[in-house]
Amino acid sequence: MKRIVFLLVVFTLLLAACAPSVATSQPAATNPLVATDAPTVVAGAFDINNWDSVLAAAKGQTVNWYIWGGSDSINAFVDNFYGKTLKERYGITLNRVPIADTADAVNQVLSEKQAGKDPGAVDMIWINGENFFTLKQASLLYPDWAQKIPNSALVNWDNPAINLDFGHAVDNLESPWSSAQFQFVYDSARIKADELPHSYADLKTWACANPGRFTYIAPGPGGFLGTRFVKGALYEISGGAEQWQNFDQATWDQWSPALWKYLNELEPCLWRKGETYAKDEAELKNLFANNEVDFSITNDITGAGTGIAAGLLPATSRAFVFDTNMIGDFNYVAIPLNAPNKAAALVLANLLLDPEFQAAQILPENGFGLGYAIDVTRVTDSAALSALQSASTKLGDSATPASDLANSLVGDSAAEYQNLIEQGWAENVLQK
Amino acid sequence: MRSHPIFSPWLSLAPALTIVLVLLGASLLYAVAESVGYISVIGQSKFSLDAYRNTLDLNSEFWASLEFSLWISIVSTLISSAIALLLAVWLSERRGNTDTLALNWNLAFPHLVWSVALLLFLSQSGLFSRWAASLGLISTPAEFPVLVRDRFGIGIILSYIGKEIPFLTITILSVLRSQSVGYDVVAENLGASRWQRLRYVTIPQVMPALLAGSLLIFGFIFSSYEVPALLGVGYPRALPVLALRFFLDPDLRARSEGMVISLIITLIVMIVAVVSLKMKDEG
Repeated sequence: MKRIVFLLVVFTLLLAACAPSVATSQPAATNPLVATDAPTVVAGAFDINNWDSVLAAAKGQTVNWYIWGGSDSINAFVDNFYGKTLKERYGITLNRVPIADTADAVNQVLSEKQAGKDPGAVDMIWINGENFFTLKQASLLYPDWAQKIPNSALVNWDNPAINLDFGHAVDNLESPWSSAQFQFVYDSARIKADELPHSYADLKTWACANPGRFTYIAPGPGGFLGTRFVKGALYEISGGAEQWQNFDQATWDQWSPALWKYLNELEPCLWRKGETYAKDEAELKNLFANNEVDFSITNDITGAGTGIAAGLLPATSRAFVFDTNMIGDFNYVAIPLNAPNKAAALVLANLLLDPEFQAAQILPENGFGLGYAIDVTRVTDSAALSALQSASTKLGDSATPASDLANSLVGDSAAEYQNLIEQGWAENVLQK
Repeated sequence: MRSHPIFSPWLSLAPALTIVLVLLGASLLYAVAESVGYISVIGQSKFSLDAYRNTLDLNSEFWASLEFSLWISIVSTLISSAIALLLAVWLSERRGNTDTLALNWNLAFPHLVWSVALLLFLSQSGLFSRWAASLGLISTPAEFPVLVRDRFGIGIILSYIGKEIPFLTITILSVLRSQSVGYDVVAENLGASRWQRLRYVTIPQVMPALLAGSLLIFGFIFSSYEVPALLGVGYPRALPVLALRFFLDPDLRARSEGMVISLIITLIVMIVAVVSLKMKDEG
C-alpha cells in the first residue's frame, strides 16, 4: 500500500512538473481576448458587404495572428509593415503569435471547438493546403468572406492555382497572401552554373557522380517541399503535369512504380545513402550551409536572397530551376469560425492584398521573399503599378530569373495524390 | 493519531489525486473514444475498430516503431543502470559534496536542451566534426562518424544515458550514504574480497532503489517524445513520434490511429509500473 501511495506521489509530482509550461503558454494566447472580446461580441457587429462597418467594428480591436514564427526576418517584416500600418491607419493592434508549425494553430482551434470555447483565441492563421483542409473538414472556418474584401478584386479568382489549395476548393474560406514556386539553391562558389542539372534525369546523373552531396526533404506533414520534389519527379517520368490535375487511381497505379524505381535508384547516391532525409526546409538549408550537401530547396520568389540577407546562406548562393515541372502555388490566410476579432482580421487580410504591401513583400531586403498574390494587370493606380513592376526587377542575382520561373511553372496535383505520394514514399522508398 | 482515518494517506493525497484522476482520466477517456472512431470535431461518431486493425497490421510501421522504442529504452536503461551503480559505489567510498554537486548540475538541464547540445556537438557538421576538420583528421563532413540521427538510435541513447546516469547515481548514492559502513567493515573483517563485498553487501542494499529507478527511467524513455524527435531518423521512428505524426495528420480521421498508439504506450508503461511494484513488494 505504501508503495502505491509513493508511486502516486511520484506521478503527481511529474504532473506538477508539466504544469508550468501549460500555464505560461496560455496567458499569451488568451489575455488579448479577455481585453477585447466583450466589446467585440456586443458592439463589434458589422456587415461584410459594408466595408465601412467593418472598419468601424475593427477600430480598437486586437488581431491575434497565428503565424509560423521560424524566420526572424519574416517576423520583423510582419511587425514593421503590417503591425505599424494597422495601428496608424485603422487603430488595430497586431498581436503576432509565433508558432512552430501551422498545425499548432489548427490544433488550438480544434481543441477550442472540443471544449466549446467561443469566442476563441485565434483571429487569423497563415495557412497552407493541408491545414486548410483540416479546418475545412471540421467546418471551423469563418465562411463567405474572401471575395468580399475590397482588394480581392485584384485577385484572379478564375485561376485554378488560386481557387484550389492543394487541390481543395478554396470556397471563399481563405484569402491569398503571396505566391511561391519550387526552386533549388546552389552555391556558385562550389558549382558552376553550366554544371547544374536541368531535369530529374540529369539530377540522378549528377548525384551519382557526386555521391552523398544531394538529398531532399522527406515528403509528409511539415515536409511539403519534399512532397513537391517527388511530385516534380512524377511529372517528369510520366511526361507532364497535366494528367495529374484530376485524380485517377489507374493513372497513379500505372506510373507510381516508375516513380519509386527512380527514387530508389537515386537513393544510394544521396547524403547518408538515403538512410535518412532532411525532415524540413530548415534542416536541408543547414545541411547546405554547412557544406554537407550541394543543393537546398526553396519556395521563395527571392530564391536564396532572403537566406543571404538573414546570414543563413553564403552570399554566393543562387537559385535555379529545371527546364520544367517546378510546382508553384499560393498561400493564404484564414479566419476561424470562433475568432473573437473577425472585423480586424478582415482588415488585415485586405491589407495583405494592398498593392503597396504586395510590392514590399517580394523585396529580399524586407525579409519576406514570397511573390505576388494579386494579378498585377488588375491594378489601375499607376503609381502602385509601377511600384509592383519595379519591385519585381530588384530581386538580384540570388533569385531565379522571372522568365525561368515562368517557363518551368506547373500547377500542383489533385489533392488525393498528396497522401498517396507521402504514404507511398514512406513505404516504398524510406522503409525499403 | 496515525490510525485516525482523517490522517489516512489517501485523504491527504485527495486534492492532488483528484486533479490527476480528472485530467488523466478525462484524457484517457478521450483517447479511447477517438481510438474507436468517435471524433467529435468532425462529427464522426461511428464505432469502428479500423484504427486498431490498421495499427496492428503486420505490415504497419507500428511494429518497427515498437521495436525501435523498446531498443532505445532497454539499452539506455541497462547502460545507465550499470554505469550509475559503479559510479555510486566509487563515489560512496569518497566523502564530500563536490561530486554530488556535479551530478545535480546535470539534472537542471531539460532533455530538450541536452539533446540540442548533443546535436550541435556531434552532428556531421557539428563542433567536433569542425575541430576534426581543422586538425586535418577528416576532409569532408561526411567522413565524421554518424552519431546523431542514425539508424540505431545511438544519439538518442547517448542523450538518455547522459541524463539518466546522474539521476540514478544520486538515487543509489542516497541509499548508500544513509547506510552505516558497518556491514562493509564486518564483511571486510571476515575476509570478503572487494568484489564479494560489492556482490553480497552493496548490491543487495541498493537493489530496490536501483530497480525502481531503472523501471522509472524505462517508462520515461519509452513514452517521451522530444529526444527521439530531435535525434532520430525518419524511419524507424519511436512510438511517441509516430503517434504524434498521426495526431497532427491533416486528415482528422487519422487521429484514431495516433490514439491507438498512445493507448498502447500507456498500457506498456502501466505494465512496467505494476511489475516494478510487485518486484519491490517481493524484494
